Amino acid sequence: MSSQFTMPGTRNTLVNIALSVLMVLILFTSLSTGTVQVSLFDTMSALVGNADPMTDFVVNELRLSRVVAGLLSGAALAMAGCLMQTLARNRLATPGIIGIDNAATAFAVASVIGVGLSLAPSAMALAGAAAATAIAFGLAGANVTRGYRFIVAGIGIGAIAGAVTQVMLSRVAIDTANAAYPWTVGSLNARDSRSVLVLGIGVAAGYVTLMCLSRALNTLQFSDAVAIALGTRLRAIRVTGLGLSVMLTGLAVSVCGPVGLIALLAPELARALCRPGKIPLTAAALAGASFMLLADLLGRILLAPLEIPVGIITAIVGSPYLLWILLRPSPRSLT
Amino acid sequence: MSHTKTATLKAESITLAHRQFIVAENLSLSLPTGKVTAIVGPNGCGKSTLLNGLARIHAPREGSVLLDGKDIHRLPSKEVARKLALLPQDNTAPEGLTVADLVRFGRQPHQGWMTQWSREDQQAFDQAVLAADVADLSGRALDTLSGGQRQRAWIAMAVAQQTPLLLLDEPTSALDLGHQIEVFELIQALSRQGKTIAMVVHDLVNACRYADHMVAMKNGCIIEEGAPADIVSPELVKELYGVHCDLIQDPATGSPLLANLRPCNS
Repeated sequence: MSSQFTMPGTRNTLVNIALSVLMVLILFTSLSTGTVQVSLFDTMSALVGNADPMTDFVVNELRLSRVVAGLLSGAALAMAGCLMQTLARNRLATPGIIGIDNAATAFAVASVIGVGLSLAPSAMALAGAAAATAIAFGLAGANVTRGYRFIVAGIGIGAIAGAVTQVMLSRVAIDTANAAYPWTVGSLNARDSRSVLVLGIGVAAGYVTLMCLSRALNTLQFSDAVAIALGTRLRAIRVTGLGLSVMLTGLAVSVCGPVGLIALLAPELARALCRPGKIPLTAAALAGASFMLLADLLGRILLAPLEIPVGIITAIVGSPYLLWILLRPSPRSLT
Repeated sequence: MSHTKTATLKAESITLAHRQFIVAENLSLSLPTGKVTAIVGPNGCGKSTLLNGLARIHAPREGSVLLDGKDIHRLPSKEVARKLALLPQDNTAPEGLTVADLVRFGRQPHQGWMTQWSREDQQAFDQAVLAADVADLSGRALDTLSGGQRQRAWIAMAVAQQTPLLLLDEPTSALDLGHQIEVFELIQALSRQGKTIAMVVHDLVNACRYADHMVAMKNGCIIEEGAPADIVSPELVKELYGVHCDLIQDPATGSPLLANLRPCNS
């Protein structure tokens, strides 16, 4: 009877492999598709440094950094969302919904259009994310991330931060505002390479930490009493988890802007595919990266040569989905 | 279960409070090793709070809970989880979680950061599903089980923890008569294997029958403590629940039975 249970991870491993393959497929499609079409073979050659200068420029200079930025920010947002949903035991509690994205954007926009602060967008977005979370906590008046008070407080903060961004944009020269606009709705067009590097380090560090904490995180699916009884240090895991979620969100927003729906969609897909009982962080990260790349690819080709910002594509796909979650009669494991 | 070592658990003049509201003040209690202790009392008397205090879910405002003589809140949480298991009242599980998934969680305190499922874990798992009689259900999702089956699955998880101490908060409250007896028999069997057990129970008759030691609480105080046959009397029942009764002996087991229950003003 035991052979049936000794390998509980098999299905999740298969899901992760499938999602990885999907991600790589989208990645290569993204690298080869655009105004200049490059064949898959030439794309590969360019990646290993064997292509003609033109192809090399298109793939490695124009597209690769954008694709890497999309991959990292998608994974970061998805992990942040999955983590916060787990901590709050509520699938609506993603950083985008509770205003962290907007606050990070407001701070980062301030640094981009230059309000006298010369900090890098990464640092500013992090500060914004942390500030929004701290205020949401303060207003919710509790030391836990539970319940609707935290979410409602966060929605309010998000609205204020969004308004602040608009005010800032309305007070600068029209050219500056136009330049910042695609980025405020979420776009991979406005990235800077230093922010992408910082995000890469953040994603790697965050992922390793989360894998080390995965057992404890899994117990958060039960009531507090059960989690404690199983030996989980509840306060420590909450503080660490929330800190990681804020960091990943802030760093991702500094690269791609508030593409918050990724944090809602990707964990949902991961949960639907994986076995219940484990927090599907790896699957969510892979799904998030795939979603981001796919949305960016669609945005680039649908109305080419016009470009639709990735945030608008995810909003078009994600909003009906959000409505469906809200209106669905019997919610799944996370209410 | 040969590996089950013993451990002692006691509360030393603890004060338990929910925010500013003090539920129990200056309580002291020591669980008799290898015995079943039943904590009884009317609703709101603080018995669940006491159990949660003993299980370190609820930190005492004053006093301390000692596990093997050491303050339970200063011990590493995982170490405590290898000595003390708890079955709380609110035990919801993620949708679709199977019995096997749940029982496997019981091994978590014994696993390191990266260690895989070991042979020892598998043995503990097999013993636990056998003891709680859920081996046939292990592939089933919890939400497809009856209340009694689900409660046995949760007990199996606590058993898989292989702790010398087991605390249960109203383990039979939502169960019908047959399932109640089933769960009480299981608790008794676990105690005979050497576990020290404490449970909060509403049902005084079954508490008398299955507990070796009884703790009667009212308004946050322990008013009587001892073997059920020694302490349960019409006076105690009246003081706890405000009802008159006659006491008779169960002809088969000899444990006290309540008969002719009636309100005090008649």
